[in-house]
Amino acid sequence: MKHYSEEELVERYYNGSTGTGQAGAGDGHLDECAECAAAFAALEIDLAAMRPVEIPEKSEHYGEQMWARVEAALPSRNLHAARKPRLVLWRGLAFTAGCAVLVTASFYGGRLYEHLHQPPAIQGQRRAPAGSPQQKVVVVVLGDHLDRSERLLVELKHADPGSPELVNPLTEEARGLLAANRVFRDDAQREGDPALTQALSHLDQVLTEIANRPGGLDGAALERIRNEMNADGLLFEVRVLRSKNPHRNKTVRVMARGGAA
Amino acid sequence: MDSMSQGDGAAIEAVLAGDRDAFGELVRRHSRMLFRLAFRMTGNEADADDVVQDAFLRAYQKLATFESRADFGTWIYRIAVHCALDRLQRRRQDDARRVSEDYDPEEGGVQVADSKPDPERLAISTEIAVLQEAAMRGLTATERTAFVLRHLEERSTEEIAAVLDVTPNTAKQSVYRAVQKVRRRLTQLKVMA
Repeated sequence: MKHYSEEELVERYYNGSTGTGQAGAGDGHLDECAECAAAFAALEIDLAAMRPVEIPEKSEHYGEQMWARVEAALPSRNLHAARKPRLVLWRGLAFTAGCAVLVTASFYGGRLYEHLHQPPAIQGQRRAPAGSPQQKVVVVVLGDHLDRSERLLVELKHADPGSPELVNPLTEEARGLLAANRVFRDDAQREGDPALTQALSHLDQVLTEIANRPGGLDGAALERIRNEMNADGLLFEVRVLRSKNPHRNKTVRVMARGGAA
Repeated sequence: MDSMSQGDGAAIEAVLAGDRDAFGELVRRHSRMLFRLAFRMTGNEADADDVVQDAFLRAYQKLATFESRADFGTWIYRIAVHCALDRLQRRRQDDARRVSEDYDPEEGGVQVADSKPDPERLAISTEIAVLQEAAMRGLTATERTAFVLRHLEERSTEEIAAVLDVTPNTAKQSVYRAVQKVRRRLTQLKVMA
């Protein structure tokens, strides 16, 4: 026969209570098991000793006396004031929301007004075809950019200053590479790739020199770029990057006529 | 909603609208109920008065957060339980400090704080109250609260759990541990008598 644990007896004592705290009446196990019945009786005796004490009777003026004590200890500010910060917060939020609605309405109202009152010529300009030369955007792949740069540097290395028909295309090619090179360089810097950043910065200097030299490239300019700007070293750096850079498939969008998109 | 709750609701609205005196109505209406609870928990009239006062002060400060759908009587009851709990915990800390201050290195032992009631208190307490106070002395504040609410206030396990912000099982275990400790203490007291 399984006996009740003390915890079960306590549970039984309270759950069977209906105000008097008595339990066990009609419990089959307690009727049959003298051991559990004795344990339950001992529990009842102990807990009966803890029956409600006589509480000092308070007069009907107790509430009044307590209010006098409470009132004297109340903070000086009233609850109305305590509520104020919340009210102020809500008012602030409502004001901010109202301002936001006004600004938004003004913005869209202005756009609508402008749209309705635009001269036809301007409207026509706005509807210019997307394929207009000024808006053309091209996607450049880093690997291709490095290929073109490498070819340019090889041609620069072997260019004959006495043959302008060979030198002038270099200037055009350098101009074409400059915009994409700057975007790739800025990206590499942002992404924390120092080798690529350094090489593209070096390339930027060389391309700028080739592209923007007033009067085109002459013998002295070619010599200076090859020697002072270490074009050979740059060629080596570009070749290494082209073969090993893990980001060679990376792309950027640039305006076809200079400037990044 | 009964008439008392309706009266409470009107008084609360008035207090929140700035009428401080309206709070007096709530104090007058619920003080005696709270005193009974506080006395059972602290076993001491002066402490019980302080608990009632603390409960109303705390309620006043938090009144703006009181949800009008709730019953003010239940709300202030819970606040009073927590105030009494705080007081019991402070009392235990004070007792512990007193014990450590009474430590005498030359004697090489600890003089435990006298658990006997002082003469004044003895005069106003019944023999049962003294016995009960002695039996509950070893309980933690939470156990004492759980025991008072279960045994003397006849609250259900779920109600105790809600008041103490614990699970029903935790509340049940607190009551059980309290009963165990009370019974052990009663056995010791019987032997000493």
